[in-house]
Amino acid sequence: MNLEKVIFGFFILLALTLNFGFFIGDIDNPHHHHAYELYIAIVVNLIATVLKFGDRTHIGAIHLATSLVADLQLIAAAILWAAAGTQGDDPSVIVSVVSLSGGALLANITSVVLLIAETIQIKR
Amino acid sequence: MNNILFLILRRMRLPIIAVIVSYTIAVAGMSLMPGVDPDGHPWRLSIFEAFYVISYTATTIGFGEVPFPYSTAQRMWMSFSIYLTVIPWFYAIGKIITLFQDPGLRQAFTTSRFAREVHHLLEPFYIVCGYGETGSLLVRALDKNEVRVVVIEMEQERINELELEDYQFDIPNLCADAKLPETLLRAGLKNPMCQGVAALTDDDHANLAIAVAVKLISPELRVLGRAETEQTASNMASFGTDHIINPYTIFGDHLAMEVHAIGTYLLHEWLTGVPGESLKSPICPPIGKWIVCGYGRFGRSVVQNLELEHIVTTIIEADPERTGCKECIVGNGTEKETLQQAGVHEAVGIVAGTNDDINNLSIVMTAREMNPDLFVVLRKNKRFNAALFEHFKADITMEPSDIIAHECLANMISPLLAQFLSLVRLQSNAWANSLIQRLVETVGENVPETWAISITNENTPALFHMLAHEPITLADILRNPNDRAATLPIVPLMILRRNQPLLLPEADTVLERGDRILFCGHDNAKSTTTYALGDFKTMRYMLHDQQLADSWLWRQIKRRKSAQTSAP
Repeated sequence: MNLEKVIFGFFILLALTLNFGFFIGDIDNPHHHHAYELYIAIVVNLIATVLKFGDRTHIGAIHLATSLVADLQLIAAAILWAAAGTQGDDPSVIVSVVSLSGGALLANITSVVLLIAETIQIKR
Repeated sequence: MNNILFLILRRMRLPIIAVIVSYTIAVAGMSLMPGVDPDGHPWRLSIFEAFYVISYTATTIGFGEVPFPYSTAQRMWMSFSIYLTVIPWFYAIGKIITLFQDPGLRQAFTTSRFAREVHHLLEPFYIVCGYGETGSLLVRALDKNEVRVVVIEMEQERINELELEDYQFDIPNLCADAKLPETLLRAGLKNPMCQGVAALTDDDHANLAIAVAVKLISPELRVLGRAETEQTASNMASFGTDHIINPYTIFGDHLAMEVHAIGTYLLHEWLTGVPGESLKSPICPPIGKWIVCGYGRFGRSVVQNLELEHIVTTIIEADPERTGCKECIVGNGTEKETLQQAGVHEAVGIVAGTNDDINNLSIVMTAREMNPDLFVVLRKNKRFNAALFEHFKADITMEPSDIIAHECLANMISPLLAQFLSLVRLQSNAWANSLIQRLVETVGENVPETWAISITNENTPALFHMLAHEPITLADILRNPNDRAATLPIVPLMILRRNQPLLLPEADTVLERGDRILFCGHDNAKSTTTYALGDFKTMRYMLHDQQLADSWLWRQIKRRKSAQTSAP
């Protein structure tokens, strides 16, 4: 067992699950989406991105790209939410925030699929 | 460049994660701490506000407490956050700085910059391996001759020297071992613009390695190899090194040339010098009895060449058996007795050719004391002894670096020049003298530039196309584009037509397509002709005194006018 692989898999999977946790629920109901969950999802996504740095293989490059996409979408969602200020609970704002995080969710799913594909290739 | 980016990213993983984690904790905690606004209502920072506060705190900017003064709980968390975030932040910055000072990374940077510079060279260039005394001399001369070079040198110190030197072109340089094929590849061995490689390090084995590598990787490139021993020279010859330069053999050869044809020698020196430098007037070595001290590589070459000129030599050698010297006086030559024995009083010249500079100086000082009229030829081995050699005014000082550089230049400026020089050797001394006379009259007493043009569509389009319609003579293309009655100060040295050389062509020689012409003259004249031969308007003026109109409209009007005048 390789500790590096454990940490790597952990963060990538955690990024997906947190993202999913934030995304799930009625799209226009602010009670179904918690700000701290988005916050943690962003942080874990950033860590996952950094962990992907410096891998020179092709699959490594795609890994990094998916993470960057997820970061971009989640940060966009956070900025949108922070900019809305007191209107943060408006359905029009929350819909945009959640849909952006939905996009990030897709990227995170791709990332996990890549991780699984990579794991299956290793025959030991 | 990609590799460098990956290297940085890989090494920055840990510091960046440390920063992210510490921020996360600090921001989350800050947003959870209870506070009170000025109206007494309970209040908390939003996540974004907390991020804002932590960001300016972690980077030690510190705007204070915004938007309201903090509660005790918030202040406690803030003081904890300061220590939590500032330390990873500094750690990350420190890491970046260390990374950029890392020798491995810096080497990677310089190497990739070098490769990029070479890649962007869009002109023909030469690779010079070894920037020692010889290399620097050669690079300077090539730079003056507008030939681009790429330098590879092992010692950083010499690279620094190169960077301080004031060259007209930017010279890509790399501090690396030229023996490694990878280095040569980086220097553009496979670049289509690469014309050849000069292996000029002071290590014969390295030169050999370079020559082998070049001949294996790019066999069509020209290789100039410096070889100081016979074995290296024959080894290099065995796999087709184009020019093998042995300074000792060349010096012997030049000495013989000085003895029997000083004009030819002078011409040779002149055409291969650094443009713009003045030429020292040579002294003709006397004919009579010569003493040669030291029968090594140098001494042997001198004796052989002097004997060809029917000059009697007496050899003084300390170790006759090792050097294979048959008739000689045993000794160093530094003592009065040995010199006496060799007949220093009747001799006209002495050659101090041992491989020890101090011995050489001692020999000639003793000898001059005994016979002040002696013609002195002195061999210089080490560059740092230059000051001593300047003080002792020898008639000829043999400097290997100088000889090698001249020889390389002859081959690198243009293959035509090398051919011309070899033809010059077959001409008489009087012929050479008259050519020198003509050169001095046209271009002055400084070393002129030598360059070649070929009449092709790429090189001289205007001349090439106009030759299809009318005969053009050499005199026509040497007219001054500013005043066609005047002639540019250029001496045409040779025309190569269908591989047949034509030495010193007359002014009324009619040119043909495909001719290659070797010119000699001032660098202003060089740029003028190069421009003129490619420009139809200038050529038209030079040939027919016609000013061609620029615009289509004016050309139509002119054509109509000339049709009218010629009609009646």
